[in-house]
Amino acid sequence: MTISVSHLSKHFQVHQKEPGVIGSLKSLVLRKYETVKAVSDISFKINEGELIGFIGPNGAGKTTTLKCLSGLLYPTNGKISVLGFNPYDRKIEFLKKIALVMGQKNQLWWDLPPIDTFLLNKEIYGIENEKYNIVFEELTKLLDAKDILKVPVKKLSLGQRMKMELMASIIHSPKVLFLDEPTIGLDVLMQKKLREFLKEYNIRFKATIILTSHYMADVEQLCKRVIIINFGKIIFDGQLSNLIEQYAPYKKLSVIFREYVDPKKLDKLGNISNFQYPKLIINVPNKKINSTASSILKNFPVEDITIEDPQIEDIIEKVYTQEDKRKK
Amino acid sequence: MKKYYIIARNTWDEMLTYRVSFVMWRIRNIIQLLTIYFLWQVILPPGKTLLGYSQSLMLTYILGTSLIDSVVLSSRTYAVGEEINSGNLMNFLLRPINYFLYWFSKDIGDKAMNICFSIAELTLIFIILRPPFFIQTNPFYILFFVFSVILSLFIYFFLNFLLGLIGFWSPEVWAPRFIFITLLGFFAGSLFPLDILPKTIYEILRFLPFTYLLYFPLKIYLGQLSFLQIASGLAISIFWTFAIYFIVKATWQKGLKSYTAYGR
Amino acid sequence: MEDKINLSKYVKLWWMMTSMVSQNAFVSRFGAVLFVLGKLIRFVFFLFFLLIIVSRTQAIVGYTLWQVILFYITFNFIDSLAQFFLREVYRFRSYVVTGDFDYFLTKPIPVLFRLLFGGSDVLDIPIMLLSAGFITVALSKIGSISPAEIFIYFALLINGFLIALAFHVFVLSIGILTSEVDNTLWLFRDLTQMGRFPIDIYQNPLRSVITFIIPVGVMVTFPAKAAMGLLSAQSVIFAFIIGIFFLFISYKFWNFSLKRYTSASS
Repeated sequence: MTISVSHLSKHFQVHQKEPGVIGSLKSLVLRKYETVKAVSDISFKINEGELIGFIGPNGAGKTTTLKCLSGLLYPTNGKISVLGFNPYDRKIEFLKKIALVMGQKNQLWWDLPPIDTFLLNKEIYGIENEKYNIVFEELTKLLDAKDILKVPVKKLSLGQRMKMELMASIIHSPKVLFLDEPTIGLDVLMQKKLREFLKEYNIRFKATIILTSHYMADVEQLCKRVIIINFGKIIFDGQLSNLIEQYAPYKKLSVIFREYVDPKKLDKLGNISNFQYPKLIINVPNKKINSTASSILKNFPVEDITIEDPQIEDIIEKVYTQEDKRKK
Repeated sequence: MKKYYIIARNTWDEMLTYRVSFVMWRIRNIIQLLTIYFLWQVILPPGKTLLGYSQSLMLTYILGTSLIDSVVLSSRTYAVGEEINSGNLMNFLLRPINYFLYWFSKDIGDKAMNICFSIAELTLIFIILRPPFFIQTNPFYILFFVFSVILSLFIYFFLNFLLGLIGFWSPEVWAPRFIFITLLGFFAGSLFPLDILPKTIYEILRFLPFTYLLYFPLKIYLGQLSFLQIASGLAISIFWTFAIYFIVKATWQKGLKSYTAYGR
Repeated sequence: MEDKINLSKYVKLWWMMTSMVSQNAFVSRFGAVLFVLGKLIRFVFFLFFLLIIVSRTQAIVGYTLWQVILFYITFNFIDSLAQFFLREVYRFRSYVVTGDFDYFLTKPIPVLFRLLFGGSDVLDIPIMLLSAGFITVALSKIGSISPAEIFIYFALLINGFLIALAFHVFVLSIGILTSEVDNTLWLFRDLTQMGRFPIDIYQNPLRSVITFIIPVGVMVTFPAKAAMGLLSAQSVIFAFIIGIFFLFISYKFWNFSLKRYTSASS
């Protein structure tokens, strides 16, 4: 087992400051602290080579969990084991085997070409020449980076820079790769390429990858297993297909009518998601999909009809709201 | 190890990409140096002395402190504050690299560039202005001089680093640095040799670390100190080197603890 | 031409911008206090330094203690006056880099006005007042100064400020052309601080350079010399000519740079 998290909790003491001058003076003397429970008692296990998506809304505790797993934060409670190490000890052998990639934090030397930073990392991680060359060639090919290796970083476009940041982060072939919102700020094409790369990398290098994301496309394309976290707790941990089955055992029926239809007549069909003539979107349980579809075709003037899987966003939203309801 | 050499070399390369900016910075340095140089040249015409300083000794002092400045006082460790505040420190915590050695290597690169320029500038000044320079011939003085400079290097490295560590507790990194630079401008000895100050003040300064950055090494070079004075001065230097090192280490541990607690 | 009529509008604008910037300065009170403290320390220490030197050597190039102090304080006053009014120039680089500068170009305020006077910082005032106070003390200590000489002194102070203004306009112009602002600005400051001492300490050709070409001498030393009655009438007139001349060519240069900038794409 590569990663094992057991009853992890992380609480932050945040001090409250009242606004204005009086508040500032007050805060110099008396500090009021409030405990923010970023992560509360979560547990999970991850095996080697898995590609896992951590999803949740902002402030859910995703980044905090990643930081605990990589050793940047020390847990308030609970135990973490990554590759057999306690991350917070930050032992050199541990650091050599992991990588954390966060969007805004740059490690490339700004004025120099990326290749200089790669060579520096080679020394930092103690990579042998042969291994380095192999990985270097592979990554250059996978990331299509041949032309930008020797261009000073400040002259690269955002997309190119992120590719190089990524390459610098994994040039030492980490066994475990943590990615925090890796596709944020990238255009659609770059997002796609990055996902393809991660997929390849996962297979070729047998690396365990954990990524956090807002973008459902990331999760859909990459992760078989997802962990949904909200308010610092795990709401769901399992296969994406199970998620769909558990929370959204329905399909989306999109109908375009040829002629005007009385809305009242449509109510009987099922759970209407949206109706704006001429388009109707209706959620239909899997078992009823055939009967509902044929019923519509028989009884209404239909121009076009399509059957879709539910959007992951909708599913996740459902999961969140269910949790909220349960809380109340 | 090789990685630290690469860091130093990268810093050198980095500075080269900012050639224009750097050259202007050196020009500013020269102007400041010349201002003080001419002042002293005028205050001490040949033949006149001030508390044991002849023109040649004083001008040697001023030029000498300028050279030592590029060895001792060129340090970037104050930028630690920005790194902490921006969260970039994280990158270093994740990697098997020693943060102190990383900055020291960067400084070596920085100092190397500054020394080259300083030597070039001083050579130019020598050719154009022909100052009456005092050349030390006693090898012992030279040896102690070099040893003292090495200690100064470390004292300043740690002091500056300590200043940067303020970043753990406050986003206000520039203001304390401003005060630090102001104090340094007077107490390190680049403006004037500290022993022209009234005795009582000088006696206090003798125990502060600033005195040993520029003033003390030059005094050794000028051969104006007795063996006892050199020994006691070096002792105080060594004391401060270790004292500030331990303070930095302790502050670093403490800061790291709070940093990893809040995790910016 | 319209500008003259709208002078009160500009004064009002300046007042508003100044109060906004000053409020910002107090957001970090700790930093604000340290800054003022730092400048105070520098001022006091340097005075002390002058005191030490003069007490040990009786005079610097023939000037007595209070005369030397007058030179230094005149420098300090003009330096802090310029910093107070023209503080915004120190922020220019960030405007160019972030692209905010382009916004300025679209607003109905003359760009130059905005860039020069848009950010006066209240934190510069303490030193200014202190210097002003010391000037009065120094003038009285030197004694035997005629009212005419005092008048010329203040006139030359204003002239000095105009030269400083011209310098800042140069810095802005160079900044637009090359994006290199901070270094030129600090270069100017370093050249100015050569005037901490009477420029007599510098030999020719250096002295001529900083009198005629980069008129730091005119800016800082001349006023003090005039107060001591050491400046000939020709020199006084010459000083004003230089002041106006510099202001004029800096403004011309600014227009040239601005045209250059707006015809290229950023």
